[in-house]
Amino acid sequence: MASLRDLKRQIGSVKNIAKVTEALQTVSAVKFRKAEARVKKARPYADNVEEMMRDVARSASGDSPLLAGREVNRIVVATLTADRGLAGGFNAQVLRRTAQFRAEKGREAELGQVASGRKAVAFFRFRNVELEEVYTGFTDTPTYEKAREIGRALTGLFEDEKADEVYLVYNRFESALTQRPVLKRLIPVATEEAEGEEERERDDNLAYMEYVPDPETVLEQLVPRYVETMVWQALLEGAAGEHGARMTAMKNATDNANDLAKNLTLQMNKARQAQITGEIIEIAAGADALAAG
Amino acid sequence: MAEDRQQGGGGRVLFCRIITPEKLVYDGEANLVMARIADGDIGVMVDHAPLVSSAEIGDVRVREGEELHVFATSDGFFKVAENLVQVLVEEAVAADEIDTDAAGNQVEEAERELSEVSEGDEDGERKRAEIDRKRRMGENLLRVAGNYA
Repeated sequence: MASLRDLKRQIGSVKNIAKVTEALQTVSAVKFRKAEARVKKARPYADNVEEMMRDVARSASGDSPLLAGREVNRIVVATLTADRGLAGGFNAQVLRRTAQFRAEKGREAELGQVASGRKAVAFFRFRNVELEEVYTGFTDTPTYEKAREIGRALTGLFEDEKADEVYLVYNRFESALTQRPVLKRLIPVATEEAEGEEERERDDNLAYMEYVPDPETVLEQLVPRYVETMVWQALLEGAAGEHGARMTAMKNATDNANDLAKNLTLQMNKARQAQITGEIIEIAAGADALAAG
Repeated sequence: MAEDRQQGGGGRVLFCRIITPEKLVYDGEANLVMARIADGDIGVMVDHAPLVSSAEIGDVRVREGEELHVFATSDGFFKVAENLVQVLVEEAVAADEIDTDAAGNQVEEAERELSEVSEGDEDGERKRAEIDRKRRMGENLLRVAGNYA
């Protein structure tokens, strides 16, 4: 059994850890609430851009490579992680998803990789994966300007034929407890086919929609904006997810540290009691010996 | 959102929403919405035919009764459907909230950067277009502030 002094020191350091993790948890909780509010505020824009994208895609003639795609020789994957760790599996799950996807597609086409967030950059550098674009230093409070920069770069890769398909891997924010890694094709634009009565009614209304100057031009202008918006949404959800994941991870860490401190305290008390008992026995034995003598 | 539209359609009232990536800038009834789209200025009143177009850097003016709300807007998209006008732009600032100092700095900064982009740069064309856009947006802010604030 560890000595009393060792136990005391251990308890001290465990309690210190608990203090640090608790502070991180509190900070993350505040940041999380802010980030979550930003996600909610950004939703109307993203929803509308997506809806417009769907409408325009259905109206435009189908031969645009932005929609129909072209022969795939090179695929670019953009992976978004956080800049910092201490967030449980948050970064790892996105990176794992990316690695899995790269392994799937690696045989069919040449791969390119774009990384946002220090964790992603470190992951790919360590594995000697060449990075086409690197973005760091903003993941916990992203700005639209950054999303625009990344979006433009991704659209640019497609336009310059350095990529025939562009994918985005990021953490979809579901709650502070759950973030799910998601893979999404950005270009060619993958519009989900809408179904149901309501949608069909909308289709009828769409037939009268006038595009100025024409659907193809609007489409060409809309796609870069759509890509930016998807990146923006992903960055915002990533930020909220990061803070949420850190909050949860730090809560667990704090709880663990507190449990550990409790156990150690119990152990220490036992050790102290054993020591006192030992001393008493010694004294009693000594007294007995004297009395007998 | 759905209720708004129904109300808009049935009650013959036009609604206008100006939406940026950050937030909903304007959301309300309107008698007339004026903006600049791909083929020139447009004025939208109630029961306008459905339309989608790009929006140019400029201003969006919303007349609501006696009031006129003016917003300096960046480029984006303009959509009219079922008595709802939606302006999707990257930036939209109410005319009386424009920070003219910041806008002036933005123009100066863009002009300086524009002169720094080297000719031989591979991405020069794109970079220049981006910076030029920043300059035009700054100028637009100043113009709107000058005219309406």
